[in-house]
Order: sequence, then structure tokens, then C-alpha cells
Amino acid sequence: MGQAQAGVISRPPNNKRRKTLIQHLRDNAGILFVLPAVITFLIFGLYTVIYSIVLSFFRWNGFGKFSILPFACDPPACQFAGLDNFAYFLYKEPTMSGYFWQALQHNLIMAVVVTVGIVLVALPIAIALNRAGRGQTVYRLLIMLPMVTAGIAVFYVWSFIYEPDGLLNSVLETLGLGFAQAKQGWLGQPDTALPALMVVMIWGGVPSATILYLAGLQTIDKDLYEASVIDGANAWQQLWQITWPLLLPVTVVIIITTINSVLQGYEMVYLMTYGGPAGHTEVVGLQIFKYGFGDQRQLGMASATSWALFVLVFAVAVVNLRLFRSRTEV
Amino acid sequence: MSNIKGTIGTVISYIVLTFYALLSLYPFLWMISSALKSNQEVLSSHSLIPNEFRFDIILNTWNQLDFFRYFVNSVIITVFVVLGIVLIYAMAGFGFARTKFIGSNVLFMAFLGLLFVPGVTVLVPLVQLLKSLGLIGRDATLPQTYFGLIMPIINGAGPFSIFLFRNYFSSLPSELHDAARVDGATNWGVFFRIFMPLATPVIATVGILNIIGTWNAYMWPSIVLNNPDWFTLPLKLKDLDLQIVVQWNVRMAASLITITPVIIAFLVLQRYYIRGLTAGAVRG
Repeated sequence: MGQAQAGVISRPPNNKRRKTLIQHLRDNAGILFVLPAVITFLIFGLYTVIYSIVLSFFRWNGFGKFSILPFACDPPACQFAGLDNFAYFLYKEPTMSGYFWQALQHNLIMAVVVTVGIVLVALPIAIALNRAGRGQTVYRLLIMLPMVTAGIAVFYVWSFIYEPDGLLNSVLETLGLGFAQAKQGWLGQPDTALPALMVVMIWGGVPSATILYLAGLQTIDKDLYEASVIDGANAWQQLWQITWPLLLPVTVVIIITTINSVLQGYEMVYLMTYGGPAGHTEVVGLQIFKYGFGDQRQLGMASATSWALFVLVFAVAVVNLRLFRSRTEV
Repeated sequence: MSNIKGTIGTVISYIVLTFYALLSLYPFLWMISSALKSNQEVLSSHSLIPNEFRFDIILNTWNQLDFFRYFVNSVIITVFVVLGIVLIYAMAGFGFARTKFIGSNVLFMAFLGLLFVPGVTVLVPLVQLLKSLGLIGRDATLPQTYFGLIMPIINGAGPFSIFLFRNYFSSLPSELHDAARVDGATNWGVFFRIFMPLATPVIATVGILNIIGTWNAYMWPSIVLNNPDWFTLPLKLKDLDLQIVVQWNVRMAASLITITPVIIAFLVLQRYYIRGLTAGAVRG
């Protein structure tokens, strides 16, 4: 903007339309700021995305050659497959499609349970933090810790907690709830493995949601609460009629980011259960990883499945924004 | 009356907070306590306080398992990733917010679109790309491999970082920019001398997010790094799985070594982080 104005001042008005090449370059010099990002994006972003799209129409086991610049696909390791990859995992090949839909189901369960769980835990904690005068800083710090270490170190701790003779079982024993123990370990039993993973996800996701809620709470005008007290509202009504609606934009951000990360995520599952026991914690991201880097590589299938995942992630984000748009424009 | 209610509310708040803080902390406390126990005691007792404090376990892990080496590797990778991200995307954010050029909107949308592409989608293409560039494989050197490891991480952080920097730079008063330009400063001068120093909260936010992410990263480094000497801490930690008898105390000592640096970084930067994150989200 500054540049364009400066140009206008230093030149007679009638020259304005016929810009020289140099003038054009100077007007667009801002692009230099973006250039390093663009180059990185073209090589490691756009190129790989296009590669992946093209690859999804091929069958390739990773041997021989497949490339897109210049195009190469050497049979028999690589063959054109058309839409076969998509057809196979969606419906045509029962073992594959069964595998995919089961994983997707787990993703969707996780998306709902983890998102609801995070909101239900984070909101009360944020409200409590907001009320805690002097202790706020210390508590906030303690509560934020899990977000720092979401990685293999923490998964090890949780794995031990979930072991057959681990902490959770022994706590249940002490409480006289021995009947509720998971004898094969919480990650080892088909019915408890997925819930056990979701607990870790909620535990890891609550901190950032709490911070966002706390920031939202601090922007709410205190007069609103005082006025509502005069009108005879109780704490419960205040929560539902003032706090919740005013925090809705924050809730939307939390919902979108949580669903996004749950649908895309697989590292935690990879490290804690590898999809087991017997596929009960299999998720789509992990399947894609296994197609890409497992024992029997099907790289085209990995790409095709990952584009299905992309469509899902994108659709969910769009639907969320549409659903909440009217209510979030503050 | 309302005073009593207020007091009760505050008391309940503290109870809730204390309970949840314990829940947040428990795994860490357990990690620390197990790192100080003998393996036998880890398995037999769930008490947080060890019978006998075994500081030698952490020392042995650090020395005998050569954790210093992996610590250095992790530091190198994290430092380059974060410096790259802050420099490249602060510039880009400034470019999008404060300069005009043809196609700037289209380009910005292209970057945001990348947010929705699952990371796992591009794993296979990235590996093929790095192979064809000679950056990974048997003949690749350490700098080559680390470069191949680092660049995709930087690129992955692009959309969100650009978004935060652009929002922040747009929110600064335009008088800042105009005044400097009247004084004859170029865009570059404005960026480095005026905007960057003001961007500390965003730099800290982007920094801490990516320090955490890169330091803890497991999947991508595990694919790229095939020489055990080049491993990062999480990879070495995972390698302990190969022990025939699981030594939980060694595992926990190694875990503790792995997470301590990132906790320290977080404690130093968290003040800015909260400001930066909430500023971005509220303005959103």
C-alpha cells in the first residue's frame, strides 16, 4: 500500500496507466517476503500433494520406480489402477473395506467422545480458574503440563498405569472394586482398549481447551452477571444463559481443532496399541501408515485412503463452520 | 448472603482445581518416582515415595545409554526447525498483512488449504522426494538427512504460523508502517526494525508450539532416521522396547530425561504463549 502511494505522488497522473516492467516489479516487491514460504510450500507441500493424488490411481508396492516429474511407472511393481484403489477399500474388497469402515467407526467414536469429554472437563476447570484469585497462575501452570509432553514419554506412563498389574487395577482393588479390573490390562482387552485411549486423549486435550475458555471468560463483562442476579437468576441459569452462549465461539474453535486432530491422529495409537487388540483400536491414519510403511506395502492404497480421510476432515470442518457461523459472528 | 455463596463457590473452585491438578500431575509424579526406584520396587509398590532413592539410575541412563548424544541431536533439530519457522513465516505473515502483490489472496488460501491435508497423506510422497534428492538413504550424510528431516516439519508448521503472524501484523496500527516509510525506511527495514521486535508474543507462541511438537515428534523422524547414532530422544526412548526384560525404572528415567528440557522451555515461554494463543483465537 505504502509503495503504491509513493509511486502516485512522484509521477504525473497521466503516466499512471502505462507502468513499466520495473514499476510492476516494485509494486509487487512484497512477494519477496512470501517467497521462502512459497518455495518451501511448492517443494514439500504442493509437489507431495500432487504426487499423492496421482499415486492414488496406481498400484505400487514400492519396488521399481514411480515418479511424477518426469512421469514413470515401471511394471510389474507399478501398474495403473484407475479407481480400483478407492473401490477396493470402500466396498469392493470385503477384508479391506471391512478394515476401513471399522477404523473409520473408531475415528468417529473418538471424535465425538473426546470432543464432548474435553468440553465437559475444560469448561468447569476454566470457570474455577477464573474464580481462583491468587492461586490462578500456579494452578494454570499445573493444569497445562500435559500439553507439553504429549509424546512417547507420557504414553509409557499411561501404558504402565493400564498394565494388568498396573496402577489402575491396583487402585480399583484397594477401593474394593476388584470386579471392575481389566485382567488383561486396559489396553489389552477389546472392550476397554478404545475407552482407555480416549481417556489419554482427553487428558492431553483438556489443557489447551481450558486456556482458550479462560481467555473467553475473561472477556465477558461482569456487569452481565450482576444484572442477572438482580433479575433473580441463579448460578445454573447464569451458566446456561450468559456463560455458555458467550463462550460459543471458543467452543466452536475447540470442537473444530479437536475433531481435526482426532481424525488425523494416529501416533498415539501406533505407540500404545498399534491398533490392537485384534483391530479394536485401529484408526484410519494408522491403516494408511501401515499401507505405506508396513510389511506389505500398497502405496497407491495408502494414498487413496488418505484422500478419503482428507475429504472427511474437510467436510467436517465446513459443516462445523456452517452450523455455527450464524451464532459465532459476534 | 451473596457473600456466603461467593465463598462457597470459591471453595468449590479450589477443590475442583486441586483435584484436576493432581490428575494432570500424577503421571509425571509417577514417572519421577519410578525413575528413582529399583525395577523390583516399581513393579511391587505403587507408592509415590521410593523406599530407597536410587539416583544412580538416571545417571546410568544418561551415561551408559549415551543419552547425551541423543539429547544433542534433538536440540540441533529443534533449534533449526524453530528458527526456520519463525524466520520464514514471520516474513510471510508480514508479506500477507502489510504488502500488496498480485495473487496474494489466492496464495494465502492455498496455504490455509494445507491445514486440512492430513500429515499421513504426504508421508509416502515425502520419503520418495527425499530419496530422489539423495537426502536419505545409505549414502546420505548427517547434514543431508537432518535437512531432509527438518524441511517437511517446517513446511507442516507453515499454515498455522502464517495465520498467527498475519493476524498479529494486521492488528498493529498502520501508522507504525506509514511513519517509518515516510522516514525513508524500506519494507525490509520496517519488518526487521519495527514489526519483528513487536512480534514477541507471536514468536513465543509459534516457538513453544513447535518446540513441543518437534521435540516430541516420533513418527516422521522414525521414518527418516535410519542410523541409530542420529536418533532423537523419542526414538532412543522407543528403542528401549527392544530390551528383553522391560526395565520400567530405566524407561521412566529415560522418559524423564526426554521431557525435562521441553518442560523448562515451556515454563520460560508460557507467559507469552498464553497471550499469543488467546489473542489469535479470540481475534480468530
